[in-house]
Amino acid sequence: MNATRGTVFLLDDEPGMVKALTRLLKAEGFTVRGFTSAKTFLESYRAESPSCLVLDVEMPELNGLELQERLTHAGILLPIVFLTGHGDIPMSVQAVKAGAADFLTKPVNDANLLRAVRAALQRAADERDIVAEVAMLRQRYASLTPREREVMAHVVSGQLNKQIAGDLGTGEQTIKVHRARVMEKMAVDSLADLVRAGERLGLGKRPPATG
Amino acid sequence: MSWVTVIWPMVASACLTLAAMHVLVWANRRTAWASLLFALTAVATAAVAGCELWLMRTETAQEFGAVLRWAHVPYWVLVVSLVGFVRLYLRAGRPWLAYTIVGVRTLSLVLNFVFTPNLNYREITALRHVPFLGDSVSVAEGIPNPWMLVGQASFLLLVVFVADVMRTVSRRGDGRQARVLTGAIVFFVLAATGQIVLVMWQVVHTPLTPSLFFLGIVAAMAFEMSADVDRAAQLSDDLRESEERMTLATEAGGVGVWMWSVAQDHVWGSARWLHLFGFAPDAALSLEKVIQRIHSDDRGTVEREVRRALETRGDYAGEYRVVWPDGTEHWLAARGRTYSDAHGKPVRMVGAAIDITARSQAEASATLQRNELAHLSRVATVSELSGSLAHELNQPLAIILTNAQAAQRLLAQQPPDLAEARDILADIVSEDQRAGEVIGRLRALLKSGDTQVQPLSVNDIIEDVLRIARADLIGRGIAVHLSLAEHVPHVLGDRIQLQQVLLNLILNAGDAMSANPPARRHLTVATAHRDGAVRMSVSDTGCGLPPDAQRMFEPFYSTKAHGLGLGLSICRSIVTAHKGRLWAEARGAADVPDAAATASGGATLHIELPVADEGAP
Repeated sequence: MNATRGTVFLLDDEPGMVKALTRLLKAEGFTVRGFTSAKTFLESYRAESPSCLVLDVEMPELNGLELQERLTHAGILLPIVFLTGHGDIPMSVQAVKAGAADFLTKPVNDANLLRAVRAALQRAADERDIVAEVAMLRQRYASLTPREREVMAHVVSGQLNKQIAGDLGTGEQTIKVHRARVMEKMAVDSLADLVRAGERLGLGKRPPATG
Repeated sequence: MSWVTVIWPMVASACLTLAAMHVLVWANRRTAWASLLFALTAVATAAVAGCELWLMRTETAQEFGAVLRWAHVPYWVLVVSLVGFVRLYLRAGRPWLAYTIVGVRTLSLVLNFVFTPNLNYREITALRHVPFLGDSVSVAEGIPNPWMLVGQASFLLLVVFVADVMRTVSRRGDGRQARVLTGAIVFFVLAATGQIVLVMWQVVHTPLTPSLFFLGIVAAMAFEMSADVDRAAQLSDDLRESEERMTLATEAGGVGVWMWSVAQDHVWGSARWLHLFGFAPDAALSLEKVIQRIHSDDRGTVEREVRRALETRGDYAGEYRVVWPDGTEHWLAARGRTYSDAHGKPVRMVGAAIDITARSQAEASATLQRNELAHLSRVATVSELSGSLAHELNQPLAIILTNAQAAQRLLAQQPPDLAEARDILADIVSEDQRAGEVIGRLRALLKSGDTQVQPLSVNDIIEDVLRIARADLIGRGIAVHLSLAEHVPHVLGDRIQLQQVLLNLILNAGDAMSANPPARRHLTVATAHRDGAVRMSVSDTGCGLPPDAQRMFEPFYSTKAHGLGLGLSICRSIVTAHKGRLWAEARGAADVPDAAATASGGATLHIELPVADEGAP
């Protein structure tokens, strides 16, 4: 088991439960921030390096599933481990469909909880890496000229230089120069890398529009 | 022997006999002042008669003068006692006139001792012997003293005074006897005065004989007073008759009558009362002996109530069990009243008791049935709640487990975190207690048993019930609003049964809102206190009351798919047994506490209970 470290947010309307989970998670070296109401949690939540949320389903006012919906709407990508006193199957299906990392029933075995939290944090870290990579690619992509972007779009959609030249109404040699520029600006060494970068940026799904 | 030596001693002895009788009456009853005054009048009349006899037998003018002088003393006593008697006995006569008569007569007595030989004569020149009733008696001759008019005026004033009294009593309608008495006094005083005037001014030459006329007055007074004795005898007959009727009525109604003389600590009871307490018909009783017959559970209350009635000079009422010597128990209801003397000191308590064993048994069996029904209904309610109650119990168990596992990890560390482990153990203990409380509340609700009446805080009841229903309400997405009045006085009741009523109302409110969107599920529990009553109100924003709202308190009436329809009817019977009221009210939009839930609809159920007496233990 690799020692993933990160921040665990805890939300349960029972202060005793928050305290007990905090102790357990802290003993395992996690940074823990506990809350007893959804309102205070939403007010003080800041994206921190990789974090997850351990969330009680049964709470007065805003229950766990409703909070999950709100977080999704707000664009907060926080893997959620649900805890419930009496979890039934439809409820857990709904939660998992909506992106829950895990769904555990109280009283919860510590090993299961820790495994779920680690997995959630791993997922957060992964998601975080992807997000960082996409941000970098976007930055590089932004430095391309419009012509170079056109060329890149055609390249990642799998067209040969000759086809591209035909499409854009220019010479094959010119395309070669543009392509080399694109490879350089996007900091990729191979065609395969460029294609993956294009995928991350959402290119190549459809034939590029002809400018 | 002449007539004179027969008549005058007879007059004197008759008067003295009557006087002696009435002195005895007065000695027995010191408030009978009229008897004492009568005795004085009679003694004075006897003395006057003695003086008259002596005057008739005097040998010298000097002796005659001296005897006549001393005769003025009984005359004074006679006039004063007669005025006093009339005032006291007939409760009439003008006071100023009475004082004037006494004053004038006293003046004549003083003058009598100023003049020599006496008030009536300047000088007695000779004694003459005249024939009288076949005897020869002494009669004085001399110069009359005009000051004797003062004494004679007192007699005339007395006539005016008594005549005025006669007018008053006949207008008052006092009856024939009072008129005869006053008429006789007026007549005989006038006659005596007339004779005195004629003799003293030497118009006629006969001896003085006013004692004969005064005997007439004494006789009239004695006759009048003997009529009192007759009336008393009549009253005593009436009283006995009324007592017999009373005994008949009380015996027929099974009512036992008792009286406790406080100072002598003696309890008298009618035959029925002695039977009710299982005493022998001739038992000599003290309060302590009576109290010992009362069931030990009720004895303290009875003693306290009797003491309170004595201290406040008030009434006593109670119901208690009496244990007969054969060990059988009998329920009695008793009432009593304290009577005080003129100084407000309690003298005796008088009261009545009846056997209510049959009624108490019927009440006990009705109570038992209500308790059993209430218990069944509670079991049904709790089973409805079982899911959320399991959660309520699960919560502390989950916290205990998580804490224990955290502790295991902390103790496995090097070095182990003992401080944190100690805190964890403390939390485990408190969570375990919490789980115990949940179980305790459940067990109390599921327990069947007698009602236990005690002073309760309605706010505490509400908090207890919300703790039981909390998980269920959260599960149903219901927001709870509390509006509890501060310093609400206690009510007398059975905690479990009142919790049951409130729990029923809260769960009903939850059911009524099940079709609402979660944002419109508001439950309000409020308390209020006014006019000696405490009110608990449960309001919802649900579907409102059914059209035939009154029927919802009838047994087997239900608007729900599940449920027996017994809940509200049992609730009402519980509240009624607490001397309270339970009713439903449609709820206006204005009552809704939250702007988010303003649509009309919803219902409020009110429980109103009387405030417990402040003096209650």
